[in-house]
Amino acid sequence: MAETETLPEIEHDEKTGEKSSLEPGWLVICWNDPVNLMTYVTHVFQTVFGWNKQKAEHHMLQVHRNGKSVLARTTMEKAEHYVHQLQKYTLHATMERES
Amino acid sequence: MKLLRSGKSVFVFQLSPREKQVLLETLELYPLVPASHHRLSNTGSPSESDENQRLLEESLAEQRKENRKQVQAMLEQPERFRETKNGLQFSLKHSEVEWLLQVLNDIRVGSWLALGEPEPGELPEISKQNLRYLMAMEVCGAFESLLLSAFGIAESPDWLE
Repeated sequence: MAETETLPEIEHDEKTGEKSSLEPGWLVICWNDPVNLMTYVTHVFQTVFGWNKQKAEHHMLQVHRNGKSVLARTTMEKAEHYVHQLQKYTLHATMERES
Repeated sequence: MKLLRSGKSVFVFQLSPREKQVLLETLELYPLVPASHHRLSNTGSPSESDENQRLLEESLAEQRKENRKQVQAMLEQPERFRETKNGLQFSLKHSEVEWLLQVLNDIRVGSWLALGEPEPGELPEISKQNLRYLMAMEVCGAFESLLLSAFGIAESPDWLE
């Protein structure tokens, strides 16, 4: 089943304008696995990203149905932070440079 | 175990002495997921990712150490479980529910890894070697669902379409 993925808003760092690891261009991805409860994943998304229930459920269902969901598009530092937070909850999350 | 009441900062659950025993015995398994299980990236070049990967593993190990301390503190805190005529009252602050969820899910995922990462419906035959992991997976899932219901999160029939 192919569904269109909605990428989160790009975060702009207008203060520096530097093209470096501070520049958005890193994707935080959560991958499907058969062990984490759907309710648990929804809760973790709400906690880590501060999303409302509807948005958290939307991304949880993308993970469940498509195998993965792009949760954030941000700087390298923030992407590392989010991946770390998600892994603290034992979710399968990684970061990738946007192609 | 069931939710009795939730206040501004505390949840109170009711559970039987047997449920308490099952919960505490299960928590003794923590941590189960190896630190090296988590990868920062699927695609990063080795030179770029090795250092970050090491930092991630160190950070997760530190987090687990803290969680383990909190679990131990909970196990040694008799007032945490208050006896009533209907069983035991188990009180948890909201922040404590968060770490308990992390701990239970570590045991659940760690058990699943120990069982060979089976797909749903393909759990291995029960044996002396894997029984504790099969039990731990189910027990943790049940306690997690109860804790999540305290936050008002329950599975919707729409999710399974």
